[in-house]
Amino acid sequence: MTTVKDGLEKYLLDSLPSGALAVDRENRILFVNRALARVVRLRAEEWEGRPLEEFLRVLDDRFECPPTLALRLEWDPRDRSTRSREMEFREKDGGRVYCVREDSRPLRDAEGRVLGRLFVYHDMRREREIDRMKSEFIAVASHELRTPMTSIKGSVDLILSGYAGDISTDTQELLEIAQKNCDRLIRLINDILDLAKIEAGQIKLKLEPLDLTDAIERSLLGVRSLADQNEIRLTLYRPPELPLVEVDRDRIEQVVTNLLSNAIKFSPAKGEVRVELAVADGCVQCCVADQGCGIPEDQLSNVFGKFQQVANSKAKGGTGLGLAIVQALVNEHRGKIWVESRLNVGTRFIFRLPASSSGPSSS
Amino acid sequence: MTLSKILLVEDDVDIQKVVRMSLKLRGVKEILVAEDGEECLAVVGGLKPDVILLDVMMPKLDGYETCRRLKANPETRDIPVIFLTAKAQQFEIKRGLEEGACGYLLKPFDPMTLHDQIVQLLNQRSGGPKKA
Repeated sequence: MTTVKDGLEKYLLDSLPSGALAVDRENRILFVNRALARVVRLRAEEWEGRPLEEFLRVLDDRFECPPTLALRLEWDPRDRSTRSREMEFREKDGGRVYCVREDSRPLRDAEGRVLGRLFVYHDMRREREIDRMKSEFIAVASHELRTPMTSIKGSVDLILSGYAGDISTDTQELLEIAQKNCDRLIRLINDILDLAKIEAGQIKLKLEPLDLTDAIERSLLGVRSLADQNEIRLTLYRPPELPLVEVDRDRIEQVVTNLLSNAIKFSPAKGEVRVELAVADGCVQCCVADQGCGIPEDQLSNVFGKFQQVANSKAKGGTGLGLAIVQALVNEHRGKIWVESRLNVGTRFIFRLPASSSGPSSS
Repeated sequence: MTLSKILLVEDDVDIQKVVRMSLKLRGVKEILVAEDGEECLAVVGGLKPDVILLDVMMPKLDGYETCRRLKANPETRDIPVIFLTAKAQQFEIKRGLEEGACGYLLKPFDPMTLHDQIVQLLNQRSGGPKKA
């Protein structure tokens, strides 16, 4: 059996702020470091070579342990993946709760042979506190930004309605500029808060099996008047059979609507914006293609960044956050999104979502 | 539906003015204002408004608690309450409706359609618009 000698390895392990435990292929304990032994109130050095079940019994005596604890589950030596899970342990006597992230991964020797498995436990209290502060900031920022905007937008709208009497053409023009920019600022506030919520993991997706065509048709309906204003033809291509996807309908509509609005805004008059659905690699793929001026190659890698707008896009009234939100939402659905573009030919935004096991839908 | 008397519970003086003008434009005769939840509870019994427009973040007593107390009092429980607030997160909207409000309108609102939105919410509450 491989053991941890009283050398540098042991000092390193005992100096870690996170708890660590490793087992060999027969589930005997190779080491328990000091941080973990302190929490479980054991002497670390007593555990070398003892069966893992004994350690689990002590753990169960002291804590209400979550059933999802990887340490408790059987592991396959061929499993090369790292698994992470957040969980809570509650002390049975004191009631203290530990918020912990458990990472488990194969333990290998210098030649890469799997000796056993390593389990590391990180204290997540600080992260939880930061999450709480983030949520509080979002709530406060939302309220504090919206309140003055209500007065500004309301006053401008009322004057423009003629409520306060006739206004000159110049005054009207200036107020319309103020009104347009109020609306833009409100969109920006909404986008910043939306993105902050997604990044803070505060949106709860209401997943349901869905034919992506439904969401796309609704999005197409929503952007129809914008397309008409810009004299853009909208077309949808769908294969005869399309697997369902497990998605939040509203959020996926938000993704498609955003991509369509961009495509329409960047297309020349009388152009076509084409949506193509396909099946690829166990996923449903959606491509939104325009015939616009394209994105320069050196800017392609930035299009999903925050406030990253390609040349002239500010003039189109964007907030610079739309594609960052789109990417974050696709990621939340365990999908992926990318962009392909050719200058003066057009741009294709393509996203893929894992197909659901609920079976295909026929057109 | 014609609204003749509205009680606005709002601590921001500028927003009070915008709401007042917006509703006056659409023919609402009386728009009464309470500065916070406590004042609302103190005056509402004598006013009997058609609807209460209620902000959430206010000094002394916030909108959620004010709504809860309005709905707990047999004298005021039937007065429809609509939140008009910048608290725009899903859990905040959910909480407002759980406290017994019949609707939730977000700031910034469109002053040209505020009246129609209120009427629409009141119609939904009473099961559709009443024929004259």
